[in-house]
Amino acid sequence: MRRVRVQRSSRNWLRRFAVRGVFWRECLDWAIINLPFYFYPVLVTFWTFFFFFFAAPARRAIVANLAVILPGSSRAINHLRAFRTLFNFAWTISEAAIYKLNREEFAYQISGAPWLDQLAAAPGAIVLTAHMGNYDLGAALFARKFNREIRMVRAPEPDRQTAEHLSSSLEQTGEGAVKVDYNTAGALLSFDLLNAIRRGEIVSIQGDRAEGDVGQIDGRLFGTKVRLPNGPFVLALAAGVPIYPLFIARSGYRSYEIIVREPIAVVRSGQARENDLAEAVAKWCTVLEELLANRWDQWFAFTPLLLSDETKH
Amino acid sequence: MKQSTKELSRFYFSLPRIIAKIRGSDPRRAETNAIEAWAAGLLFYLISYVFFVAQFVPRGLRHWQTALLLVALGFFVWLFWLLLLYINSLIIKLLHSCGLFRTLPSRRAQSILLGIATTAMAGALLLRGSWMRGVGLFWLLAVGANLASALVLACGRNAGGDSK
Repeated sequence: MRRVRVQRSSRNWLRRFAVRGVFWRECLDWAIINLPFYFYPVLVTFWTFFFFFFAAPARRAIVANLAVILPGSSRAINHLRAFRTLFNFAWTISEAAIYKLNREEFAYQISGAPWLDQLAAAPGAIVLTAHMGNYDLGAALFARKFNREIRMVRAPEPDRQTAEHLSSSLEQTGEGAVKVDYNTAGALLSFDLLNAIRRGEIVSIQGDRAEGDVGQIDGRLFGTKVRLPNGPFVLALAAGVPIYPLFIARSGYRSYEIIVREPIAVVRSGQARENDLAEAVAKWCTVLEELLANRWDQWFAFTPLLLSDETKH
Repeated sequence: MKQSTKELSRFYFSLPRIIAKIRGSDPRRAETNAIEAWAAGLLFYLISYVFFVAQFVPRGLRHWQTALLLVALGFFVWLFWLLLLYINSLIIKLLHSCGLFRTLPSRRAQSILLGIATTAMAGALLLRGSWMRGVGLFWLLAVGANLASALVLACGRNAGGDSK
């Protein structure tokens, strides 16, 4: 019995060093606090090489997704593109940590400013985003700029300690205005989010990846069937609020672009609920497809979401 | 966060700051310049890389063996830096616990220690022949010019009562 307990605790300890373990996040925080800024570029480059080889499932997922986003692209070149994506990811999490820990300056520009103003003034809304660019930094920026509270719903992290670290980082970055919830199968969160929207809060959800037992809905991206979370669409229908597609793309060294697209209204048409949802999902897929086609190097969904229909069968 | 890129055109090192001052730009210290970050980082890395090449790559190897060794050395230098950064952090912690340099932030202290280590490597390269001497000399000149610029900036601050 004692032997089993020792084995389990040593396994838990070792999990810290897994690719998605908390050890690497803690190392990053240490580096940001202790190292001069001009060391970051070289270190980020080498860590990207390290994870390019050791995070093989993530690398393979990026390559598989790229094959669908860029049809006809060569597999070898897609490996180089995967490196670029991981390099961008490394910079993105580093810059989020720089903002959190050192409060350094960042520049940004807005694309779709009228919709962003509309969102800031909205009495309760849903922000639908993707695992793209620096959504952590973006949420903090939005909360600070417009003095609004945001509830962020994230896909659950496989490692508990990493999840705790990420949540506390986000809340620290957002200076208390960003609250984090994890998207699990429970119905309690849905009611909680519905109440939050009715109280006038903004709920931010990542709508490009449905994982685990969460409610799912079919969509089509690049001519391929994908499973997306249905939560944001059901929530928008129930609360009667629009969905604002919003993305934070990295546009250079400590520089970002906030991209807001036309709000998606999920309205009851009197037909079956599934039809109303499907219409909104199709609009979301169009927006997502356009963004992914242009910013494939910043799509950090490290699971193969875009398997072609033939491959799925 | 700022909605402009003005902040990003400022510099950290004294030499570009004094050049910026001469050209009428903002000479205040900032850690936001991409070119400066890449150039300084690569220069630090280059000096240590050349230093280790001089130590560990023997002459007379076959081309493919030399190429393999050079690639392996690239990763070795990275590991060397990771180790050195960790040892430096322990030295800084020790100094702080002894009550020394407590007001100096860790990042600045690391910067000084890394500067000393790299200058020592550049000094060792000066003793080597050919192009390696040139690399070492370039570093020493850059450090010298930077220190001189820091002195000029400090004197200017004292003379003008400028708090920047």
